[in-house]
Amino acid sequence: MNVAFTALTLVSLVILTVTAPATAFPVMIDGVRNAIVLALKLAAIYAVWLSVLQMAEATGLDKKLSRLLRPVVVRLFKKESDEAYDWISVNLAANMLGMGGVATPAGIRAMSAMERGERATDNMILLLVINATSIQLIPATVIAIRAAAGSENAASVFLPTLISTTISTASGVLLCKALSLPSNAKNKGLSSDFHAIKPSICKNHKARSLKK
Amino acid sequence: MSAYILPVLLLVLLVVCVIKRVKVYDCFLGGARDSLSLVKSVFPYIAAIFVCIEAFKASGLADMVARALQKPLSYIGIPSEIAQLMLLVPLSGNGTVALLESIIAEHGVDSYVARCAAVISGASETIFYISAVYLSACKTKKLRYAIPVSLFCTLLGTVTACALCRVM
Repeated sequence: MNVAFTALTLVSLVILTVTAPATAFPVMIDGVRNAIVLALKLAAIYAVWLSVLQMAEATGLDKKLSRLLRPVVVRLFKKESDEAYDWISVNLAANMLGMGGVATPAGIRAMSAMERGERATDNMILLLVINATSIQLIPATVIAIRAAAGSENAASVFLPTLISTTISTASGVLLCKALSLPSNAKNKGLSSDFHAIKPSICKNHKARSLKK
Repeated sequence: MSAYILPVLLLVLLVVCVIKRVKVYDCFLGGARDSLSLVKSVFPYIAAIFVCIEAFKASGLADMVARALQKPLSYIGIPSEIAQLMLLVPLSGNGTVALLESIIAEHGVDSYVARCAAVISGASETIFYISAVYLSACKTKKLRYAIPVSLFCTLLGTVTACALCRVM
């Protein structure tokens, strides 16, 4: 992320400085302004959805709902805590229904529950890839835009969308599983004494970040 | 019809809360409190990504890269008008919607290009935004193969979408 961000911003700024130096700062401030607008919108959405989630949690409804997805989730994400499984289930269910407002906080909690230090675990990457390749079943926004533009059959994109998102997500899961095999074999002996090696990981990271 | 689904679900939840004697008011306070701390931890990531996107677009770099990509993309069956959309999709959801609308306005809503664009927007996610925000509460910094895999699979989905739109 550090490399990608620096490279992209650096090249863009070089071009801006050459072509339109006066706009360089306003452009960056515009970016942050958009971010603040979005953050406030998100705060409103999360406030409502997180309270709904808390109610669902208090009544035990979330457990019942997530039990529907549980068999799939347990098979995909091996060796995680019950808490992680619950949040993953909520995240995936909400994303399938296109409710980004619920999916994002649940996804953040799922990641925290699966976190094991500096390196993302295979399961964290798997959840990220599943989310990043989109698992939305009904592209409601896109269909609404097409209907508003006067399409003869606005929902005709439904099937191609479902097929291509299935292909991207399925290939993502397969690739993740394939890529996690070698690192699993390597880490098998280490995972039990993880806490013992933790300080050395931190030290390594410090050394690395100093080099940068 | 679909407009009723969410409010009805919420009503059902509230009724269940009353039956189970859950403190609804306390739940709401808790949710609202969590929302602010969540947004507070997410904000730096959103700000960084948005600054990056603004500079990327305003400098004209986005157009240049899109133009450079048109030729190679046409070999795998992706129309040249889609190149810019493909660049924007992993970065910004609002940007994708805006570009989709301008493609529809330019080519007509039921044209091949506009249908491709619609399928691609519907079948993809903002990869960079998601990976920044989802991990915002973690100390995890090394994402390893997560982003390359996501980008590659989205490309697979995009090629599929362009092929499907020819026949469906």
